[in-house]
Amino acid sequence: MTKRNAFMVLSSDEEDEKSSSKLKSFFCRSDSKGQKQPCFSVPRSRSCKQSRIADEFELFGEDFKEVFTGVKVSNGSGTGTRKELWADRYKPCTFEDLAVHKKKVDEVKAWFEQKIQVSKGNHDSNVLLITGPAGVGKSATVKVIASHLGAMLFEWRVPTPTIWQEHMYSSNTGMQYISKLDEFEIFVERIRNYGLVSPSITGRPLSPVILLIDDLPLTFSRIAYTRLKNSLHLLVRSACSPTVILITDTDHSDSANDTTRNFEELKSFLEEVGARKISFNPITSSSIKRTLSKVCKQERCHVTAEQLDLIAKASGGDIRQAIASLQLFSINKNVSTNPTLSDSAERKDGNPSGILFGRDETLSLFHALGKFLHNKRERESTDFLDEDTFPIRDKFSRLPLKMDSPEKVLCQAHGQARPITDFLHENVLDFIDGDAVDDACVVLSYLCDVDVLLAIHQKNFSKNSDTEKVLQSCAASIAVRGILFGNDHPAPPRWHSIRKPKLWQVEKTALHNKDKLLWQRDKFHHSSDLSVIATEYTPVHRQIQHKQPDIRSATSMENSGAAGDGDDDTSMETDAFDDDEIEDW
Amino acid sequence: MLWVDKYRPKSLDNMNVHEDIAENLKKLVSEQDCPHLLFYGPSGSGKKTLIMALLRQMFGSSSEKVKVENKAWKIDAGSRTIEIELTTLSSTNHVEMNPSDAGFQDRYIVQEIIKEMAKNRPLVDAKGKRGFKVLVLNEVDKLSREAQHSLRRTMEKYSSSCRLILCCNSSSKVTEAIRSRCLNVRVNAPKEDQIVNVLEFIGKKEGLQLPVGFAARIAEKSNRSLRRAILSFETCRVQQYPFTSNQAIPPMDWEEYVSEIVSDIMKEQSPKRFAYSYTSCLCENFTFIIRKIIYISHCGDYFNFGYQPDTHSILFLEVLVVHRLLCIFCIVLCRLFQVRGKIYELLTNCIPPEIVLKRLLYELLRKLDDELKHEVCHWAAYYEHRMHLGQKAIFHLEAFIAKFMSIYKSFLIATFG
Repeated sequence: MTKRNAFMVLSSDEEDEKSSSKLKSFFCRSDSKGQKQPCFSVPRSRSCKQSRIADEFELFGEDFKEVFTGVKVSNGSGTGTRKELWADRYKPCTFEDLAVHKKKVDEVKAWFEQKIQVSKGNHDSNVLLITGPAGVGKSATVKVIASHLGAMLFEWRVPTPTIWQEHMYSSNTGMQYISKLDEFEIFVERIRNYGLVSPSITGRPLSPVILLIDDLPLTFSRIAYTRLKNSLHLLVRSACSPTVILITDTDHSDSANDTTRNFEELKSFLEEVGARKISFNPITSSSIKRTLSKVCKQERCHVTAEQLDLIAKASGGDIRQAIASLQLFSINKNVSTNPTLSDSAERKDGNPSGILFGRDETLSLFHALGKFLHNKRERESTDFLDEDTFPIRDKFSRLPLKMDSPEKVLCQAHGQARPITDFLHENVLDFIDGDAVDDACVVLSYLCDVDVLLAIHQKNFSKNSDTEKVLQSCAASIAVRGILFGNDHPAPPRWHSIRKPKLWQVEKTALHNKDKLLWQRDKFHHSSDLSVIATEYTPVHRQIQHKQPDIRSATSMENSGAAGDGDDDTSMETDAFDDDEIEDW
Repeated sequence: MLWVDKYRPKSLDNMNVHEDIAENLKKLVSEQDCPHLLFYGPSGSGKKTLIMALLRQMFGSSSEKVKVENKAWKIDAGSRTIEIELTTLSSTNHVEMNPSDAGFQDRYIVQEIIKEMAKNRPLVDAKGKRGFKVLVLNEVDKLSREAQHSLRRTMEKYSSSCRLILCCNSSSKVTEAIRSRCLNVRVNAPKEDQIVNVLEFIGKKEGLQLPVGFAARIAEKSNRSLRRAILSFETCRVQQYPFTSNQAIPPMDWEEYVSEIVSDIMKEQSPKRFAYSYTSCLCENFTFIIRKIIYISHCGDYFNFGYQPDTHSILFLEVLVVHRLLCIFCIVLCRLFQVRGKIYELLTNCIPPEIVLKRLLYELLRKLDDELKHEVCHWAAYYEHRMHLGQKAIFHLEAFIAKFMSIYKSFLIATFG
């Protein structure tokens, strides 16, 4: 809290200046020929922040300081020794530096050249949409091309969000709050009407102008979304200078998120409206490695090729991430004089998977389920009988899996044992060959074991959460491995949709019916066993009322009503349930 | 009102079955006090009727004026409070409940609610005698072990003011400690001629003409459950009257359903499926089948079914065998999937999974070869145990069915292959 307040005071000092200039500038930053002409309001706040951060570092323990002496985080005022992120320092300036695939770069370049040469004549849209995962060099490519073409690059970046305190403060001074979306709309409007004429560049009118929209404002409601869409539409229709819109692909795993879905929609919308779309792929690990080794050479730090390889692999095609990892890694090496730290560093080196950095790779639950159910295996086993493998009977030996170890996949999918088991149980029969009853028998008996395991902790109310965790993960592992092992004759691969476990609905309806039965018991049968009512009284009622509706009309009405209602309810519930459950994943 | 309720004997004096037990119970209560009682016996044998009659004997007709209460109890269990809803039937002198309704929270009921009820009661009745309250607990065998333990303690602590009457199907699921604190009353399933007598009695009261042997047939079908017999008697009456001596006695609908499942499991495929199964068997390399098919197709035209069974009887047998084999192999899983749907149907209707499994086994055993019976029974027992340990019955039921299919298949291969 204190931190934020302190920060607030600092930033609000310059609020007056900033706000006065805000409307005019729209945070335009001119970036020509690769040299930075920093925007006037940003760096100050940044330096303030930095000094705060440096102060805070003082508060941390000795270890931490020691680690960071390697980087020497100096106070913001220091200039010479100041270190920046390597990812920023080694920003690509030439085409050779770019790690992006050459074809893509050429594609983008060709587009720009065409647009700049025939900037007015044609009626094609002047908007280019570049998509791709984070850190594949979308902005870098555009910047490099712009500097190559000698074009002036104007960048619209999402303005820093207004914090609540800030708003409170400025509302006292008479400032109105402007939503980011509003700002974007005004910006688009201005671009359309007046082009990119801004006082600072009027001196050099001849160089072509490129507009880069790096980040679209986030929209949270349908209305805001439509507004954004409209203003983008306008932009696409009437932009007079080449405009690039960058949209970062998000992982599909969290695509349940509304905003990301909006972005997906937006992409296709832009394309429809007439923007040209070029999508970037993740950078190949070999070109990441090349860049990394270049950086290493310039920094004069010694990292073995294997380690580079690991870093490149772990980054998952994200070059920014890779360079950051490299920087962190070399920091760790620099402080290796400290015995404890060097220990851990060594351990890290020794154990390749112990490299802590790299992108967090998550899988969606359905992806993981698909992996398990499809049970893809290598064509033939790579014989490593020579080592310490047990001799296994033919009956029990299986070909190696075409995936990571099942536990790892489970972990990536953040699956819980119970739902995973339910899903597997519901779907597994589709994936077993029609004739392989024995396989089905094995699979189902494993699932039955899992159920028993899962029930143990449920029944014992075990307070010990460790036991519970172990049980859960054991159960999940048995379920998955049981299915992988048991399904010896998988059905020929074809499209299967993964169904939601019907079991959930059945349980729900059963509970509902049980309540009905309980109610009936209280009414008519003086507390006989529930099972007796279910197995004997109710069928008889059904049979009797079938033939002779006037007998026990009260109950018959109840029953038929219950039955009808039950059905309707369940069907409706299913829908609702469906949405809910899937959303929860 | 169903006949079961209508002709339920109200007092110990006019019981139609178990007169001896009734006599003993009468003697027991005549001395104003009674020990804790545990009634056990198969379902439909008359435990409930005996208990009701006993209560009437003890408290007079006031025991019949019951009111149903559905009350939510808040129980403080250490760190959290648990809310349990429980329905009770109570008169001035007794309370009846099914503690096992609360599922795995049953021990709280036993610990707290029963204690509460046992404590709060008027100790002195109108005549100035020390009275006692009676708690009737149904389905004691379904209580968890913990609950039974706390029940034991409750029995000891409040034995001065409260009598417990426990009722269950199988005394083996009740802990030794509880059994030894109670007077155990075993209520046998009535004999078939006793059931016939009761049915004839009811028939006379209702003014029905019973054909000779009809009651006996119902009794035989009822599996010695009096309730079941009376219920199916009434169903027959509704379905067709006057009775004919060979009138079908309808089974319960879920039982029919189970036997449908069983025939699904063991069913032969229709010939339409043959082409498919033939190709799929080819893929699976079941050489022996192919050998047979080739042999058969040399001998005669199998595929147009035009042969005469009497002339080619051996061939016909062969064809049947192969046909049967093919049926077993193909689309078994498809059927397994159908079976799952049917079991879900049963479970939705609250048929207890144990009963489903029992019935399933019963139906399977009727159709099976003697050789397999032992193994199938073994697995049924195994999976029934699993079902008790586990949570979701469907997993275990299905595993049993798959196991059976696998056994049956290998049996068929061994026999006919």
